[in-house]
Amino acid sequence: MQLHPDILFSIFCFPVTNTIIATVLTDIVIIIMVIIVNRKICFNPNNIQNIIEAIIDYFKEITETIAGEKSYFIYHWGVSFFLFIVISNLLVNLPGFDSIKFCNTISFKHTELSLLRVATSDLNFTCALAVISIIATHFVSIQYIGIKEYFKKFITLKMFPIFLSVGFLELMNEFSKVISFSFRLFGNIFAGEKVISTIYNLYSLCLPVPFIILEIIVAIVQALVFSMLTITFMHIMTEKLH
Amino acid sequence: MEIGNKFGFDIRLFLFQLINFLIVVFILKKFLYFPLKKILDERKYKIKKLLYDTEHIKITLTKANEEKKIILMNAKQVADKMIASTSISLEKIKQKSIMQTKQLSDQILSDAKRKASIEFEIASKQISKMSLDIANIVIKKILSNFFDDDEKQKLLSRVIKKINDEKKTNIPN
Repeated sequence: MQLHPDILFSIFCFPVTNTIIATVLTDIVIIIMVIIVNRKICFNPNNIQNIIEAIIDYFKEITETIAGEKSYFIYHWGVSFFLFIVISNLLVNLPGFDSIKFCNTISFKHTELSLLRVATSDLNFTCALAVISIIATHFVSIQYIGIKEYFKKFITLKMFPIFLSVGFLELMNEFSKVISFSFRLFGNIFAGEKVISTIYNLYSLCLPVPFIILEIIVAIVQALVFSMLTITFMHIMTEKLH
Repeated sequence: MEIGNKFGFDIRLFLFQLINFLIVVFILKKFLYFPLKKILDERKYKIKKLLYDTEHIKITLTKANEEKKIILMNAKQVADKMIASTSISLEKIKQKSIMQTKQLSDQILSDAKRKASIEFEIASKQISKMSLDIANIVIKKILSNFFDDDEKQKLLSRVIKKINDEKKTNIPN
């Protein structure tokens, strides 16, 4: 297993990797889930509506605890990140996820590549999520406290030049958030995948089961960490500067 | 940049993932959160309303219980008063009826006594008259057998005189 995803084929110079296929699969699962919930939406919920309602309600309550009245602007971002990351992480447990192979036609060599690879083990995916998280944080901040107060967080002439340097550090902090977000998720999931593939190579009968359970827990925890951090950063960014 | 390449960073893949996630967020927000939020809010409102109604019913029930207690207390007081007045009037009626009965019985007794004394007087008169008649007949019979007419007349007059004297001494004025 390499750090970068495998390119399966290209469409108009766009490289289609196995993580892209997994992402599309995640999209399909989410769309099916949305269709099922939307079609059977009712006052007395069925099984899938119950699960989704529980997740939404949990995030709503958590966001209300963290951010109070601002939760209306924030909680749906948290739920979206959680659902997308947790579904893409858990898809790896589907049978045939790693075992279905694809013949590479780009290099004209007979190499077999995995058709699917967990999307979060691709830095492009985690980086994209991190960038969206940070942009959304700033967007929510502007939406809630206004553009003037927002800029005051970074540029202020009060106690010049101390607060100016603080603003500069805040700006640097935003870039470091992208790196920390993307590499935390990528590192955890990629390492888990690497461990499981190593264990499979060692002894594939019963030995991988505890690691798979551990990986499921890691998948849920990482999704939760990502969404919680997003909610917390959004709350911090929507606080007015005193 | 070199590190990025090492980790497989590709700007095209990055943009694809970025746009893809934004679309997913849009779909989730539009078709999942809004309808579910509506349902959740509706349910929350209904639960709140039910809780409020329950609280209201509880208060009404408590009030009704208190009113019931007051009504029962009042009713008990009225009933006690009624029982007391009834027992008093009953006692009065009882006393009155006893008195009436006593008077009636006294009257009956006095009437009976009076009647009995009258009857006794009548009976005693009749008895004395009958005894006189019998004595008269007996004497007449005896005298006719043992005495002649002159002796009879003398004796008879003497006896009658004696009887009359005795009668006068026996019967007080």
